[in-house]
Amino acid sequence: MRLVLEFDNVTKEYRSFASKRRLRALDGFSLTVEAGEIFGFLGPNGAGKTTAIHLAMGFMRPTSGTGRLLGERFGHPGTRRRVGFLAESVALYHRRAERLVRFYGALNGMSGKHLEDRARQVLEIVGLQDHANRNAGKFSRGMLQRVGLAQAIVNDPELLILDEPTSALDPLSRVMVRELLLNARNAGKTVFLSSHLLSEVELVCDRVAVLHRGRLARMGRTTDLLQAGDQTEIVVRAIAVTQFKGAVARDGVVSFSVPAPNQREALEKVWNLGGEVVSVNPLRRSLEEIFLEVTADPQSATSKGVQ
Amino acid sequence: MKPVLLIAINFAREQRWPMLTLLLWVLLLAFLGLVSDIHRQRDDLLFVFKLDAVYVSAFSIFFGGSAIYNERRSRRILAVLSKAVGRQQYLSGLVLGVTIACAVYCFALGMTGSWTVGAAGFPISHVWFLMVCLLAACALAGTVALMFSTFLNPFFAAGATAMVLGLPALAGQFLGPHWGYVIPVWELGATVVNSSFESPGTASWFPIVLAGVETLAFWLLSARIFAYVDIAVAVE
Repeated sequence: MRLVLEFDNVTKEYRSFASKRRLRALDGFSLTVEAGEIFGFLGPNGAGKTTAIHLAMGFMRPTSGTGRLLGERFGHPGTRRRVGFLAESVALYHRRAERLVRFYGALNGMSGKHLEDRARQVLEIVGLQDHANRNAGKFSRGMLQRVGLAQAIVNDPELLILDEPTSALDPLSRVMVRELLLNARNAGKTVFLSSHLLSEVELVCDRVAVLHRGRLARMGRTTDLLQAGDQTEIVVRAIAVTQFKGAVARDGVVSFSVPAPNQREALEKVWNLGGEVVSVNPLRRSLEEIFLEVTADPQSATSKGVQ
Repeated sequence: MKPVLLIAINFAREQRWPMLTLLLWVLLLAFLGLVSDIHRQRDDLLFVFKLDAVYVSAFSIFFGGSAIYNERRSRRILAVLSKAVGRQQYLSGLVLGVTIACAVYCFALGMTGSWTVGAAGFPISHVWFLMVCLLAACALAGTVALMFSTFLNPFFAAGATAMVLGLPALAGQFLGPHWGYVIPVWELGATVVNSSFESPGTASWFPIVLAGVETLAFWLLSARIFAYVDIAVAVE
């Protein structure tokens, strides 16, 4: 599988000139993103997500370690022609939306009728076609974020790097972004998505990585991570809630979980008691549970500010 | 070249309000000059003309010294540098943008100067020569300020620029006039400030060419420094 983004043992320290203090934002961070996937990049505030993204975009240089973006070292301007980037808290010039998108497209070497058509098309994709001639300086934060998204996709990029793309959006716009990401993946593009909206990530991402204190704390396929080990959830009807330890009664059914090897035994007990089995499913955890587990575990990452 | 032009035009556009204010000031003074008795008050007119010239020199340092800082503070730099734009191209755009902003002002000052001091007997061709001197000085001063702003905040960048531009002038006073040409901003400014109706000054192109070469040199130096600077932006 072709790799589109690679971090190889990257460390980034911020140094304060006056106090000589150093803050290690990334500590031996390694990660690879494969072509054609939607990759979720998670972590609490200050974990180093934005630093990692800014390193990949070439805004900063790593203190140590290397990285590659679409096969080129971080910071190669020509490579960015094939990348779409949306920064956290997007800030754009105060211009009419269509002109703004055309400006950013032109910076990527686009021109003429193709650029005009594409600018109109991406504004339509983000639902701003009726506001194309309005000054972006007068837009709400959500609309600004959508213009930001439009400028990120105007060059039809191979790789989309999005830092909190849905933070200011209403639910309808979030659905629009979700569709945009899924369409991008279906078209063979890669999406690197940093977000705090775990439910969104859970819905669209093929793989996720959790960053904690500058280190990679957990990474894997979303489906694998959400699988809660060997637990099975059994939902039954017509038995007393007291029959199984930890069982919960709700809406006329009783649900409980058992280790998978004990599943048969539990089902037989239900039948022996005259109960009716409604469903048996492998127990799934939410990404939120995993996130909380990882970020609460002091062993999951040990990087910190160093004096 | 296209991204450089786009960034330059965009920069000049972003400075439209201070530029408009400056242009209105020039127009107002020109209007006052025209409604007064031009021949009786011609020295006052020339003084105002020189004063306007000094303003743009100061503004070029302000434009150059604050350009990167403003872009970083507003976080707009991220969207620009996320495109296929190299750091060197970005800085070139800013240098060109500062020069365009100053050129617009110099053109307006040249036009109004031609109406006012020209009508009072100052050679019009020399008005335009002085404007070329002024523009060369502004481009160099703005580029020096931009270079310092790659690693200093605008306040310190302006101070450092004033020092770098002022030291050769000071050396020229004490060690010999040729020292003033090390960084010829002061010499070019002096050509404008010392001109008079009786002696409009000699039209030497040497400091203009030198300023052009040094603008290029400082631009290259800024690009070299800026290539190693982290674009840290304020986090909301």
